[in-house]
Amino acid sequence: MDEKNPVNGYNVHTLKDRREMLDAIGLSSIDDLFSQIPSEIRLHRPLNLPPAQSEWELDKRLHALAAQNATTRTHLSLLGGGAYEHYIPAVVPTLTARGEYLTAYTPYQPEMSQGILRVLHDFQIVMGRMLGLPAVNCSVYDGATALAEAAWMACSITNRRHVVVTEALWPEYSQVLNTYMRGRNVTVSVIPTDAMTGSMDLEKLAGSLKDTPAAAVLTQTPNGYGVLEPIEHISKMCHSCGTLSNVSCYPMMLGCLKAPGKQGADIVTCEGQSLGLALNGGGPYLGVMATHEDNIKFLPGRIVGECDDLKMEKALALVKESREQHVARDKATSHICSNQALLAMRILVYLSAVGEHGFQKISRLNASKAHYICERLCELPGVRRTHTGHFFNEFLLDLPCETAPLLVTLQKQGIFGGIDFSRLYPNSDRKLLLAVTETKSKTELDRITDVFRRAIAELGGVIRS
Amino acid sequence: MKTQSIFPKSRPGVSGASIIDADFDTGPTDASWFDPADVREDSIGLPEMSEVDVVRHFTNLSRAAHGVDNGPYPLGSCTMKYNPKRNDVLSTLDGFAHAHPRQPEPTLQGLWDMMLELQEFIAEITGMDFVSLQPAAGAHGEFAGLLAIRRHFEQLHHDRNIILIPDSAHGTNPASAAMVGYQCKIIPTTSDGMMDLDAMEHHLDQRVAGLMLTNPSTLGLFDENIQKIAEKIHANGSLLYYDGANLNAIMGITRPGDMGFDVVHINTHKTLSTPHGGGGPGAGPVGVKAFLEKYLPAPVIRRIHGRAAPDDNRPMSAGRVKSFFGHVEVLLRAYCYILTNGADGLRTASENAVLNANYMRARLADLLPPVFAQRCMHECLLSGGSLKVNAFDFVKRLIDFGVHPPTLVGAGCVHFAKEYDAAMLIEPTESESRISLDFIIEQFRRVAREAAVAPYMIETAPHTTDVAKIIKDQNAWIQLLEATKY
Ligand SMILES: Cc1ncc(COP(=O)(O)O)c(C=O)c1O
Repeated sequence: MDEKNPVNGYNVHTLKDRREMLDAIGLSSIDDLFSQIPSEIRLHRPLNLPPAQSEWELDKRLHALAAQNATTRTHLSLLGGGAYEHYIPAVVPTLTARGEYLTAYTPYQPEMSQGILRVLHDFQIVMGRMLGLPAVNCSVYDGATALAEAAWMACSITNRRHVVVTEALWPEYSQVLNTYMRGRNVTVSVIPTDAMTGSMDLEKLAGSLKDTPAAAVLTQTPNGYGVLEPIEHISKMCHSCGTLSNVSCYPMMLGCLKAPGKQGADIVTCEGQSLGLALNGGGPYLGVMATHEDNIKFLPGRIVGECDDLKMEKALALVKESREQHVARDKATSHICSNQALLAMRILVYLSAVGEHGFQKISRLNASKAHYICERLCELPGVRRTHTGHFFNEFLLDLPCETAPLLVTLQKQGIFGGIDFSRLYPNSDRKLLLAVTETKSKTELDRITDVFRRAIAELGGVIRS
Repeated sequence: MKTQSIFPKSRPGVSGASIIDADFDTGPTDASWFDPADVREDSIGLPEMSEVDVVRHFTNLSRAAHGVDNGPYPLGSCTMKYNPKRNDVLSTLDGFAHAHPRQPEPTLQGLWDMMLELQEFIAEITGMDFVSLQPAAGAHGEFAGLLAIRRHFEQLHHDRNIILIPDSAHGTNPASAAMVGYQCKIIPTTSDGMMDLDAMEHHLDQRVAGLMLTNPSTLGLFDENIQKIAEKIHANGSLLYYDGANLNAIMGITRPGDMGFDVVHINTHKTLSTPHGGGGPGAGPVGVKAFLEKYLPAPVIRRIHGRAAPDDNRPMSAGRVKSFFGHVEVLLRAYCYILTNGADGLRTASENAVLNANYMRARLADLLPPVFAQRCMHECLLSGGSLKVNAFDFVKRLIDFGVHPPTLVGAGCVHFAKEYDAAMLIEPTESESRISLDFIIEQFRRVAREAAVAPYMIETAPHTTDVAKIIKDQNAWIQLLEATKY
């Protein structure tokens, strides 16, 4: 092989180093290092990749790509559907970008990782308080896999292989649930929502629970229509059948509303994105899971706990590992190994930075801004809320016109006006799902209302009776 | 000093970065918004701190942690290479960071273009025909890949429900197989570190869906029988799955696709330099040969009418494995890494990774003899059997000298059979210069010298950390050895 030495800042050896190291090993060429690899399966050509780029070339290329995306900063966005634009204080990315956190592996060596373990331990505590149940793991991949993992947990706890789920899950969540349950041989039955209130049809739920013993009822609140579910009631119904109440929630609401864990839920999961994580075109986000202490042995993923060091002083380490894949292997509660630890750290920094009162205030701002614009929009001719159930900051509207052209018109005015509901659920024409967060000022909300008014008039909305 | 929890530092009434908006009532929650029974009455229990105190708290905690940025991290199987800073910056540009996944598709053209290109890069590096970027980590890639295999046999109406897995496989392999509904059969390793071919053949029947293999293996060896293995597996109608955790040894040198693998996952947080963040997030792209493409999770990014776009219309897909499209921010870093390196750079990375591991192996051989005679690839398994102290204590002392310990049995990342209970898996990666390697080697020697004269210093190590040696590991150690017996 010819001697070459690409200079890209990542190659740490000079040609002289390489030769001397080969000498130390007793080899004469780099090629000898790979002599175990049979020639027939070697790649006898360079990989077909673009030529190496210097940092400034790369910088231009990435900026050019980024410039091809519109964002929630270039447009006024009312998009939600499981991912929300919330303000992220500068301390959040700044602190978690520290190399000691960013470039560490999982804290397998607790003695030299107490800082990370402390952050993750406090994350578990803070999410336990938020969700209302004390046993929390260090995160799973996202809100959807958290829901699916929690469903399997319930199956293991109850020894049942059937779960009941609301129809009003985010569609991605129900797809992920189905993927996860199929392999585990768990059947899934779907409970419709009440057409008027938009929340779970409790009669149908009662019937289903009576028919087939279920491991859990999986509820999402607010549900896919933005409607808050009666967690306390659903949980009571579950418990009378030996069924667990699993709740997937939007944590931003918890500044205004009681924690599901305090309303009888047995396993609470959430998508943590709204707590200090950037939208990132869909990821990485993180799934949080909380449950009763008794259920810890069924939790997937890493758990940080207290233990003693040699001097019998308190220290932190990854604990209860007998649940995990590296010990239990095919009997593990889950396969998860790498999780979303850095994002868990972000959540703790976010919640610490905004603090108790700050968080409650932000939560209320979400609700009050959403209720404000909902009222304004419902004053427009032919526009009304689809459901009567309470909502937090996301709600579904019936429109007097087709949804798609309305969104196009709004987009031309620099507004992402919400989600065309037919993209999420079939048979939902002329419906629009909107989410409003603390990031929109009154002036902006009034402008959005104005643009809606004109757009609907332009589209000649036929007013329904 | 011991680390402190943030909660006792809370001083109610002090708060940092809250948002004020005078136009909206920030008083108590409006009674009409919610069912009164649902309204929160008590506080949550979040800390209240000034911004400067938050900054000091987390900055000080970071001093009780160790990343690649701090020093050598030869943690076998984890490929703790340098995480380029340019990638931190370029993966968080506004055009990506603030993009909402439910924006109209044409408003995210930069995202689709990047993803399509990255799919093609990874397909080229692994020798596969098609790649999905959806999985969140290596284990998740395994899950998606195994789902594709299961779908394939469902379509053929083959009732195959067994996956063969070598005993040296990572724990995620059997765990993912179980989640897909497979039963695992474990194949032993021969004394020269190769998967036992006879044992494999013994298990190979019409119920076997596939074999999951890491090559190079978690013992750091390249399985020379790979062509024979592929031939036998395929002749049986089964498929071959590649756990790409060790791809860092072979970029540009050989490709799983050319070895005969049908499905591959890679861990971007190993091979492609994305930071591991103290546990994650990673990303676990999964690649397949053309005949399995239709089973990959929906959506995938393809060229539709000349433009890259997500394709959700996949009736044969084995299902979705997570929300949205994948770990975009992480994938951007992997994309930057590939572009920075080009073909030569990637090959050099693998060459240097293998060179470094062999250099350490050679220079430590008198002290820590290699477990296997065969030359190692990007990591070496060395025996601590002749040390004066046990290997667990030995590596803890390295911490005092600024070196992250190598991987030991039961350390949470790899699985070794009981025979190797005193072995250390050392993976220096290509990021360590010769000076750094010599430094690491000298620390191993220094601890060995100390073991001869002052073993108690080692048994009670580490001495420079916030806490002393943690006992739970000692018990866990024994339990793990018990638990990992087959
Ligand atoms: C050989 C091997 N396979 C699979 C995995 C799991 O990968 P991840 O942590 O990305 O899920 C690892 C990670 O340690 C590994 O070393």
